[in-house]
Amino acid sequence: MRRLPVLLLAVVLLLAIAATGLSHHAFSPVYDDTRQISVTGVVTQFKFVNPHAMMFMDVTDGTGKITRWTVEFSGRLNLSNVGWTEQSIKSGERVTVTGNPTHTGSDRMFFRKLVRSDGSELLPAAPQRQDTLEEERRQRALKRNQK
Amino acid sequence: MPLSKLWKRSLLVIVPMLVYASSSAQTPARIQKLSGMWSDPPVTIIGQFCAGWCTDAGMDRLNALLDEPANDKRSVGQLQNDAHTFERDKYIRPRLTAAALKNYPLDPADDPSFLRCEPYGLARQLIARHQLEIRESGKDRLDFHYGEWDVHRTIYLNVPNSRTSEASTRLGYSLGHWEGDTLVIETSGIKAGITPWQSQHSDQLRMVERYTRSEDGKTLTVAATMRDPWGLKEPVVVKHMWEWRPDQTIAPYDQCEIPKEIKRGTGQ
Repeated sequence: MRRLPVLLLAVVLLLAIAATGLSHHAFSPVYDDTRQISVTGVVTQFKFVNPHAMMFMDVTDGTGKITRWTVEFSGRLNLSNVGWTEQSIKSGERVTVTGNPTHTGSDRMFFRKLVRSDGSELLPAAPQRQDTLEEERRQRALKRNQK
Repeated sequence: MPLSKLWKRSLLVIVPMLVYASSSAQTPARIQKLSGMWSDPPVTIIGQFCAGWCTDAGMDRLNALLDEPANDKRSVGQLQNDAHTFERDKYIRPRLTAAALKNYPLDPADDPSFLRCEPYGLARQLIARHQLEIRESGKDRLDFHYGEWDVHRTIYLNVPNSRTSEASTRLGYSLGHWEGDTLVIETSGIKAGITPWQSQHSDQLRMVERYTRSEDGKTLTVAATMRDPWGLKEPVVVKHMWEWRPDQTIAPYDQCEIPKEIKRGTGQ
């Protein structure tokens, strides 16, 4: 039974990935959809471009060594559909980003969530779309059960 | 020549001309109906199911799953995945030839669009996500501008096949005509490539696309019939849907990145 929440989490994660709208290529050859990692650092550049938006950030470890991380997002249109603009992430901002790591463990991830230092969050479009679809399904089931 | 014979021969010339003239005269109004910016489908269960490609078999399966009370505790995403698996296994796979089945499904790590940033061939471009902008680009010509890869495609309307080159190209040679308010496009001369369902297709692929705008004007649907004697035992019909989005524009698509790290055998 203890495995059930883990399994459910994995299913939800997989479905979210399936719905990311990662358009021009498949997600799986680069990123590991079974794991998520988080890193904190300072944004050096956010590129609101196609086919995928990109962010670069400097992450400093305990010894003071700085590593440059790359964060890949879905495309510009997917992000703008949920209100993102090129100003959504600014250079110099300190942020914590959560995402799927690469299979090789390189300094790169696929975006799932960003938290700014003031606690505000940026999320991808997929979870919001899923909520709308679940509501449509609830209404459909309600009608069916009333018959 | 007797007058009756002359009259009959004249009819042979005049009737097709009248049909063509009437078709041409109606064309601008019909083009108006499809012209403009279309984009990702509405956020509905079926719309999102067809955000990539879908089939009638898959949609029927999804509706059956949704109608089954035992599935009420499963998420919409899970049911959509089940329906996609069903259409791949029960609709697509039985139609593939032994030659196409050899590499089906293709490893996504081998996709040239991913490996080398090569734009899609027509079989995938026509069902690509994001925008499709349709404009009249000249007399009897339509321009299809796709957001994905920012590529243009020309459709020649109401003209006989005047293809001058036998060489096949990524998007092929497309001739269009109207059947009522439905735009029908027939395409040949498509370079060998990849199908929406991740199998290979040959340069013998022929495609007939039928574009219809919904009665409320909000959605555009294409049903594309694909025939390929090399890869398909019988035709496959795939569908895709767009939503009317005159507020959108197509942004540059110029930052495709060639991957530096790839893992093979990871599935879709």
